[in-house]
Amino acid sequence: MTSDTNNKPMANPLIVLREEFDDWAILFDPDTGDASAINPVSVFIYKHLDGKHTVPDIVAKLRKECEDVPENAEAEVQEFIQQLLDKGYAGYEKQF
Amino acid sequence: MPNVIKSPRSLDIDITSRCNLRCKYCYHFSGPGDVDTDLPKEEWLRFFVECGHYGIMGLSLAGGEPFFRKDLPELLEGIIANRMRFSLLSNGTLIDDAWAKYIKETRRCNYIQVSLDGSRAEVHDQLRGKGQFDKAVAGLQHLQRHGVPVTVRVTLNKLNYHDLENIARFLLEELGLPAFSTNAASYMGLCKLNDQEIGLDVAERSALMAVFADLVKRYPGRFSANAGPQADLRMWSEMERARLGGLAPAHPTGALTACGCVFDRMAVRADGIMTPCTMLSHMEMGRINHDDLREVWQNHPLMQSMRARNEISLKLFDFCSSCNYINYCTGNCPGVAYELTGEVDHPSPDACFKRFLGAGGVLPEIN
Ligand code: SF4
Repeated sequence: MTSDTNNKPMANPLIVLREEFDDWAILFDPDTGDASAINPVSVFIYKHLDGKHTVPDIVAKLRKECEDVPENAEAEVQEFIQQLLDKGYAGYEKQF
Repeated sequence: MPNVIKSPRSLDIDITSRCNLRCKYCYHFSGPGDVDTDLPKEEWLRFFVECGHYGIMGLSLAGGEPFFRKDLPELLEGIIANRMRFSLLSNGTLIDDAWAKYIKETRRCNYIQVSLDGSRAEVHDQLRGKGQFDKAVAGLQHLQRHGVPVTVRVTLNKLNYHDLENIARFLLEELGLPAFSTNAASYMGLCKLNDQEIGLDVAERSALMAVFADLVKRYPGRFSANAGPQADLRMWSEMERARLGGLAPAHPTGALTACGCVFDRMAVRADGIMTPCTMLSHMEMGRINHDDLREVWQNHPLMQSMRARNEISLKLFDFCSSCNYINYCTGNCPGVAYELTGEVDHPSPDACFKRFLGAGGVLPEIN
């Protein structure tokens, strides 16, 4: 994260979260045609990338909603979000 | 029954019934959705908003001829604005340089499929009309020049089956296409009227399979087919191999398992009526912008009955019950089955291996 960003990631509105079944989903980039399947926990995280939640906020919600959330959940959530950032599927709102 | 996804991944849409050509085997111009007037652009644009809302990833626009619609760019803009991609199935004759450039710039085109039925004008034009070969090839080359993904579909029939080797050489070597697909004129639409002139007989199908057996060695991986002699060759060879070797089939068989489309995609006729498939245009399930797309997909009884087809054992059909291939057969396309028997829940006589052999058909030697 750079200094001109806040710490509340946002999903890229051009990417489609396509819910399939059993709470799994596909993230679809219509510009490239790339589609990747994500599991229910990742769907939960993705839905909270709304520019209002920090990673600790998301992890706290996850612990509340799901059972057996591992100790290192924050690192894993951060890693998933980093992957999204790298692919351009999420970003941070610039602070003006 | 396998899990059903919440909404279809893609839709096959007849965006118009109108066309600049009247090809002899077109599956249109005699069906329930074949109307003279197009649905207004506003209706489609409204529907595309719903498609985007439900996360549909791709729309395949066919017709009729999609490029016949003057408002096609606005329709494509509607698809793009709703975060989808598109493909277009075309006769190629109306595609000029400006179209190809525009399509490329959208960045959302999966592919354009151009129909080409011969290696030269004499063959192609007897099916599609004088001068159409040159126009279709020109259209295809405009697309190639602009780097638009382009595929070619060759519909094999009595008037062009002798040209298959030349077609392969023309498309793969002269035009430099990576691959092309084939099917055969099916007993639908205008082909029903022209069946005597167009439909392949058993000897012609056998001859085509022998040519394919050779071509796939010469151009490995450069052909595909979901129907027609090439698909028959693949499927029947698998069935014969499985029977001779007592092997378990690679996919579910012994029942009407052929059609997987209804677990993945759905269709919309040119008049806005939703159907399970373009080949089953009589199965009306509601109208766009009146009936909820996701509700139709998930719960319409016709959609459910199509998905339950794969539980119908082939043993229930007298003709199949004594067949040596029954444990390896999928019953094939329900659309063709309906056209030939009047029943959707029936094996397709057209792709029946037992019937083919009984009529003197010959499968090329298999490994
Ligand atoms: S009779 Fe034909 S359709 Fe029936 S099982 Fe045999 S090959 Fe398949």
